[in-house]
Amino acid sequence: MERERIEEMLELLWTLNETGHQELSLVLEKSKDQDAKAVLNDLREQGLIDDADGKIVLTENGQAEATEIVRRYRLAEALLSHVLDLEDNEVMDSACKFEHILSPKVTESICTFLGHPPVCPHGKPIPRGECCLRSETEMKPFVTSLTGVEVGARVSVVFISPMLHSTLDRLAGFGVVPGSEMRLHQKSPSYVVQVGETTVALDEDIAEGIYVKRI
Amino acid sequence: MSSNSLDSLPLSILVGNPNVGKSVIFGLLTRRYVTVSNYPGTTVEVARGLATFGKKRNELVDTPGVNSLVPMSEDEKVTRDILLNPGVRAVIQVADAKNLRRSLVITLQLAEMDLPVVLALNMFDEAKSRGITIDVGALSQLLGADVIPTVATQKRGMDQLSKAAASPRIPSYRVRYADRIEEAVAKIEKLLPETPISKRAVALMVVSGDSSIYGESKAFSKVDKAQIADIVSQLEKEYGEPLGYFINRTRISVVDRILNQVMASRESSTPDWVTRLGMLCMHRIWGLPFLAVVLWLMYEFIGRFGAGTLVNLLEGKIFGHYIIPFLVRLADKTIPYAFLRDMLVGRYGIISMGFTYSFGIILPVVGTFFLAFGILEDSGYLPRLAIMTNRIFKSMGLSGKAVLPIVLGLGCDTMATLTARIMETRKERIIVTLLLALAVPCSAQLGVMLGLLGGLSVKATLIWCGTVLGVMFLAGALASKVVPGDCSDFLLEIPPLRVPQLSNIITKTGARIEWYFKEAVWLFIVGTVVLFLLDKSGGLVLVERGASPLVVRVLSLPPEATDAFIIGFLRRDYGAAGLYMLAKNGALDPVQIVVSVVTMTLFIPCFANFLMIIKERGLRVAVLMASFIFVFAFLIGYVLNVILRHARVL
Repeated sequence: MERERIEEMLELLWTLNETGHQELSLVLEKSKDQDAKAVLNDLREQGLIDDADGKIVLTENGQAEATEIVRRYRLAEALLSHVLDLEDNEVMDSACKFEHILSPKVTESICTFLGHPPVCPHGKPIPRGECCLRSETEMKPFVTSLTGVEVGARVSVVFISPMLHSTLDRLAGFGVVPGSEMRLHQKSPSYVVQVGETTVALDEDIAEGIYVKRI
Repeated sequence: MSSNSLDSLPLSILVGNPNVGKSVIFGLLTRRYVTVSNYPGTTVEVARGLATFGKKRNELVDTPGVNSLVPMSEDEKVTRDILLNPGVRAVIQVADAKNLRRSLVITLQLAEMDLPVVLALNMFDEAKSRGITIDVGALSQLLGADVIPTVATQKRGMDQLSKAAASPRIPSYRVRYADRIEEAVAKIEKLLPETPISKRAVALMVVSGDSSIYGESKAFSKVDKAQIADIVSQLEKEYGEPLGYFINRTRISVVDRILNQVMASRESSTPDWVTRLGMLCMHRIWGLPFLAVVLWLMYEFIGRFGAGTLVNLLEGKIFGHYIIPFLVRLADKTIPYAFLRDMLVGRYGIISMGFTYSFGIILPVVGTFFLAFGILEDSGYLPRLAIMTNRIFKSMGLSGKAVLPIVLGLGCDTMATLTARIMETRKERIIVTLLLALAVPCSAQLGVMLGLLGGLSVKATLIWCGTVLGVMFLAGALASKVVPGDCSDFLLEIPPLRVPQLSNIITKTGARIEWYFKEAVWLFIVGTVVLFLLDKSGGLVLVERGASPLVVRVLSLPPEATDAFIIGFLRRDYGAAGLYMLAKNGALDPVQIVVSVVTMTLFIPCFANFLMIIKERGLRVAVLMASFIFVFAFLIGYVLNVILRHARVL
């Protein structure tokens, strides 16, 4: 049995369970697999599910594996939608493929990059991973807008969201480009950053478009 | 030696980022024969002087500070255009040694242009004290050009700099861009004619989206622009971000590589007290006392000393007691025609009124303003002032920079309208012009008005002040919605605070006063002539008769007040003085005083201001603005009258 068919089924069981459904009939109805019963049999043999009066229940191992798949899918959705600004149907199609290929390490990087988002673009919860639990004690997402950084922080610019060409050029003229390191000096009455020995004042609107990570 | 004979000398050019001490170095290298003038067709000031490098004499041109040679502002365009001159003997680039990263981006562009460059690392001592060490020899070798450390304020390194400038080299360092860009550049180069700078540099400018370069030389007239545009748009499709930005980023990353080899910086120690003071000045709370003190000093210097002491001396004593009586006696003796005599030295005469006005009243006001402005500019406080006031002006669709023309408006609205040019977008310039004409009373009437209201009660003064400020915010907020166009992004560099150099400020102020003579004085003269003709032809009486019902019915003022309003438009302080006389004679009750003073404040300041609006913003905008102000001023006056009568607060 291909890995992909098994993962799709686990994902289906997990999401149905999320809405309170475990009925076998509903699983067979919703599954897009040509031979859903065969897949279920396979899962049963691997000890990932149990049957109980017409219901399918994920075992502890099954639950753990399914959670990881859903987490990968929803993180991929968030990445494609929030960062790459793709259309919804493209997001879902690509995310479906992403969930099968992302390694744990890449998943963790994406989650950190996005600042451990709690929900997917459709508002459904993204299951927490280890990195999120760690971050809850540290509470510092990897990449945030300059507006989300506390005064005095040293940061490096990761990317600058699209803005007027002339504004980008002027920022570059002051040495603010991806890769530049700077210090946020103040936020009010306007943002002031220190880039090398250059001090630059900017509006909140511009600061919002500058994405940085702490160093 | 006149400035014209400079033209026959070979051209050397001083370039650099803003605030790197370029003008100080210019002063040290030239010493004599300096002329400051506006670059043709712009408001940008360019200084030229004679400099001797080795034994060779050069014309040295000081260009406006730039952050890139792909122009984004008028300043940067002027600098780029000057570099396009044929036969440049030397380009002396002044860099702030602390800020080498930003300077080297320009050096790389100069190298691309195949221009002979000498790089001066200025403020070398400051860099050292901040823990930045630069391997000058290594940098020079890498770039293939002479690099001279200097400390201009202490005149250090000037001899070496001028020796190096005698035989400058074209830097050998070249940036290689992404293959696709290099291919496109090579293709475009083949289509370009011979130019004073390298074809490669021109091609890169075009790829960066700078089409203004075509206008700079006749050589470009035959260029197949469509084909070039095709190549560029092909390239643009392959990149997700603007090409100019991509190219710039490549340059910055190359600079970072160079810096890795030649520069080391220690973690900066605790900032010195000047840095701290600079930071305090833009703190949201601690910045306020500084702001208050600076504004108060400006008021004392411009409002009290300039508009008070100096005006009294010039207008009252020198013009009033000596010059004008002398000219009147002279005219009486030599000019037999009464009409002509009146036109020159009569009640509304060109000399007796126009000259007194422009030289006795406005000159001391704008002169002290320019002096104060120069000090603020060179001390580095100006951008901090803009930060502190940015929030206030944002609600009016403006950036903090607007504080300058508005403050100057309290001196003279006509000159302030001219300086609205410092605003970046057309929309902002229109809003500033409107606010000046509508809500900013100039010093000529401010004194009289405050005297009038102060004599009444504190409450009256507060009502006037509150109404005018309220109207200003209301009109600004409305205008920011109605006027089409973009507001500029608030994005500016904050230079360190410094003690200004006196000589520099005097040169600047001189150039600006000259500017006032050229651009504004004739407007006051024209205004006077119009007033004179209206008076002679009896037109004044006609206008008065026409306007009288409006003043009487809408504002409930006595008919005599009409005179003050009309004269007020032609000469603002006379208007306020007219009201003053009426009040003194008991013709106005308290409500009438407040209503008339508010309406007159909101009214277009004066005829010269109106002409200036036409000159700067065009006839259509001027007429629209004037009609709006006319209706709006009377409307506010009417509403205020109704409210005050009803509320019986006065």
